[in-house]
Amino acid sequence: MIEIRNLTKKYGQFLALDNVSFDVKKGEIMGFLGPNGAGKSTTMNILTGYIPCTSGTVKVGGFEIMENPKEVKSQIGYLPEIPPLYGDMTVDEYLKFIFELKSVPLNQRKRQMDDILYLVKIGDMKKRLIKNLSKGYRQRVGFAQALVGNPPVLVLDEPTVGLDPSQIVEIRKLISSLRHDHTIILSTHILSEVNAVCSSVVMVNHGRIAAKGSVSDFTASEGSVNKFIISVVGNKNAIQKTISEVSGVRNVTFLRVDKDAALFNVESSRNVDVRRPLFNELARASLPVIELRPVGRSMEEIFIDIVNNDKYVSETAGNERGEED
Amino acid sequence: MGTIYKREMNAYFRSPVAYTIIALFMLMVGLFFWVRNLLYASTDFSGALSMTSTYLTFLMPTLTMKLLSDERRNGTEVLLRTSPTPMWKVVVGKYLAALTLYGIMVALTAIYPIVMTFLSETGIPVGKTFGGYVGFFLLGATYLAISLFASSFTESQVVAAISGIVALLVLYYMQSIGATIGGTFGSILQWLSPLKRYSDFSLGGFNIASLVFYLTFSGMMVFLSVLNVERRRWQ
Repeated sequence: MIEIRNLTKKYGQFLALDNVSFDVKKGEIMGFLGPNGAGKSTTMNILTGYIPCTSGTVKVGGFEIMENPKEVKSQIGYLPEIPPLYGDMTVDEYLKFIFELKSVPLNQRKRQMDDILYLVKIGDMKKRLIKNLSKGYRQRVGFAQALVGNPPVLVLDEPTVGLDPSQIVEIRKLISSLRHDHTIILSTHILSEVNAVCSSVVMVNHGRIAAKGSVSDFTASEGSVNKFIISVVGNKNAIQKTISEVSGVRNVTFLRVDKDAALFNVESSRNVDVRRPLFNELARASLPVIELRPVGRSMEEIFIDIVNNDKYVSETAGNERGEED
Repeated sequence: MGTIYKREMNAYFRSPVAYTIIALFMLMVGLFFWVRNLLYASTDFSGALSMTSTYLTFLMPTLTMKLLSDERRNGTEVLLRTSPTPMWKVVVGKYLAALTLYGIMVALTAIYPIVMTFLSETGIPVGKTFGGYVGFFLLGATYLAISLFASSFTESQVVAAISGIVALLVLYYMQSIGATIGGTFGSILQWLSPLKRYSDFSLGGFNIASLVFYLTFSGMMVFLSVLNVERRRWQ
């Protein structure tokens, strides 16, 4: 659906995007990650036709943005970081204005309007002036704007920033519900959001792609080991000895003491589930297990890794980095 | 184009700006009617319009100051640029909205010549009044286009208004500057002065060349505004 190839953008001498390439398949929700100033907004601004690129190509639904801007723009609904709203219009008037601006056929407007108002839950606010709405509602009106014309592609730039927790959950639900008939690019800083709604991830840093792949590739534990944290009551040395004798356990490291329990980091081969034998052996030795939890790499850890160490190469997601390092 | 035009018309009448400007304008016209028509016992309204025209220098930029600058400040420029509607339609739609508001203001002043037609025994000088109106409208239309262009440079309404006023003041004095300098350059300046052509109209002379001049000048300024808006996209 979206094909970005060798996208480069220079602002004077400053290289904002350096040879960025990625695809977003139809029906995919792509999480677009990266620290501030990494080039996320620049990429989205080029994709939506707001600014031109220095070189490279952007194709949406087979059309190139510089060659057929009108065709590309009519396929994209864009919610910028600051929702583009006119405070002096009511929600109703504003959306009608957008329908006209996007030249949506007259006979589709009424039904689409009803659908959108229902979907983003702003039906009650129809007659209110936008400047009098709360931030959460403004964000929803901005969202509604992006949905006008039922574009197959949605580009959402940090849609949940500044919302309260329940609003965040609602907007995420909304995004998830749109996945069936839309291709979505979702830029965000909130990494749990990526876990919650996205199917694939592209990470950028310093204007370059730092990593890309599916969400499960990213969050799965690294390499060929399963990791657990186990918390056991009893003598530290006895516990360590018992755990290390369980077959399948590769490595045990003591972490710390928490009240009367000791915490250990346990690693096992990926294809062996050591949790049951671990529990049984410790119980036999009268060392009660009070907690056992698997450790996967969180999005946060991966993100910070990439930001701190630009040499990061995603093992599981396949090496998509260029040769610039 | 119609979409933007409608939005801007609504925006004008939803804020106090349009009403304030109309009220101020009518106050001035009323004052000059009193000076030129009542005190002199004259039925020629073009004189009052002529006196008012000086103040268009300050009024017209207030009509256009927010048209392009506010879109940038508001972040709504993204919306317009990423929509399938081309930017030239946006700019022209905005210009036409400002022009309509100005047209309404001019139309409201027609009350004076109409009343004079009924109350005076001699009637009014129709040709001169009509010429005065045409010139007055064309002058305002040109001023609007120039101040729209000023609005395309900045995201601040205040800067847009001030630079518009300065540009119009320069034009305002161009005629007298040209006359002072004399020579070929002086004549060029005078030829370019929109004000000089306006005085032709208000003397009752309907000049096709001047009509073309005003329309071309306005068109050029609107065109330059479109170019300027497009140019910024490439920076």
